[in-house]
Amino acid sequence: MNEGLIAQETAISLRGAAVRRRHFTLGPLTLDIPRGMVTAVVGPNGSGKSTLFRLLLQMEPYDEGEAKLLGERVGPEGDERRKTRVGFVAELPHPYENGLTAEEKARFASAWYPKWDWDRYRKLMRKFEAEGGTKLRKLSKGMRRKVELAIAMAHDPELLLLDEPSSGLDPFAWKTMLEELHRYMEQGDRTLVIATHITEEIRRLADYVLFLHRGRSLGLYEKDQLFDAWRVFAIQAAPGLDRARLLALPGVQGAAEAGPGIYRLESDRAVETEEACAREGYKQLSAQRMELEDILACLVRKEEAGR
Amino acid sequence: MWIPIQIDENRPEPLYHQIEVQLRSLILGGQLAEGTLLPSIREFASHLRCSAITIRRVYQDLETEGLLRTRQGTGTFVAGVDADARAGHRLERVIEAFERAVETGLQLQCTIEEMERILRDVYERQKAESRKEESP
Repeated sequence: MNEGLIAQETAISLRGAAVRRRHFTLGPLTLDIPRGMVTAVVGPNGSGKSTLFRLLLQMEPYDEGEAKLLGERVGPEGDERRKTRVGFVAELPHPYENGLTAEEKARFASAWYPKWDWDRYRKLMRKFEAEGGTKLRKLSKGMRRKVELAIAMAHDPELLLLDEPSSGLDPFAWKTMLEELHRYMEQGDRTLVIATHITEEIRRLADYVLFLHRGRSLGLYEKDQLFDAWRVFAIQAAPGLDRARLLALPGVQGAAEAGPGIYRLESDRAVETEEACAREGYKQLSAQRMELEDILACLVRKEEAGR
Repeated sequence: MWIPIQIDENRPEPLYHQIEVQLRSLILGGQLAEGTLLPSIREFASHLRCSAITIRRVYQDLETEGLLRTRQGTGTFVAGVDADARAGHRLERVIEAFERAVETGLQLQCTIEEMERILRDVYERQKAESRKEESP
């Protein structure tokens, strides 16, 4: 593979990039977010999801390392041109836009983005059943979200960064949003990075999952591999087994006695754990896939233990 | 087009494997005729709630096997499958299922006579049941 091709296949590349503030540090992060894919950024409140977006958009200058966006270094040089290739919906609406209507905000955006498409904007507004003529401050949270999504997507950006876009959306608008994001991704070369804590959204949308915790990365995983690898087992063995003994089994990330002689094991290498249990003579009662939040809890616990 | 594939979340096989086995079966079983246009990778992934990477892998594998072909810009189609491959696949799946059953039998120290008896009993019972269903 030649250099150009590799560069093209990465939408976002971080090399030891860190933002250091008095009360919060993001990074240092080293990771590559692939192009043409949907990456969900997942983490507890305050884990650095929004700071990561702000770093990428040069709204939060980074102090160390390097960040590249669509092959260009994130920095003051070329900043405005780079941003026109990106669509962004922030976690919170900008108060200085309160007095604008959607139409007025769209007019500003149309002057800023060379690829602005009024047709696409109107189509999206219609799909979302969003109100174009009302001042943004008078719109409900969900309605304002829909307006922002329509404007962020109207110039068909190469990279779409959405910070908890579905907060405030009703189930119908949420479904429309997923449809529109699928349509956007259908082009094949577009990249979506979405911060969310809604498991169903990740299930339906994401190809990769990036876990953040206290500003650190707990890993970027291919979603299906992640769900394939993690399992929770119920096993039967002698009562009062030493927890350390269970935790020493291959793949076991969590162990607890759920009842006398019944243990709950969480594993990130299901096959190996299953074999090890059989060798030890533990009887397997059940095996289930784990929910994303349980996997995250395991990863957080592991990280905390290693600190 | 909607493809009837059912993912069993709690099976130990990886997702891509489950999808691949079922899609192959639909093609070789003739449920998906030659020339059928399959959903785009993104569309299929969202239906099955899996990642586009998984679907791409399945399409690539089945293309290598000659069951699918991709035309740039148009999509992925079901390729022509010859009768031999169909017949072969039919037996392959049955052999696979028997292998699993025999494995369980051996784990539980069944003799060949016991297994043969079970096979005949199961066969007779299922035959009788399908006759009952056909003439309600």
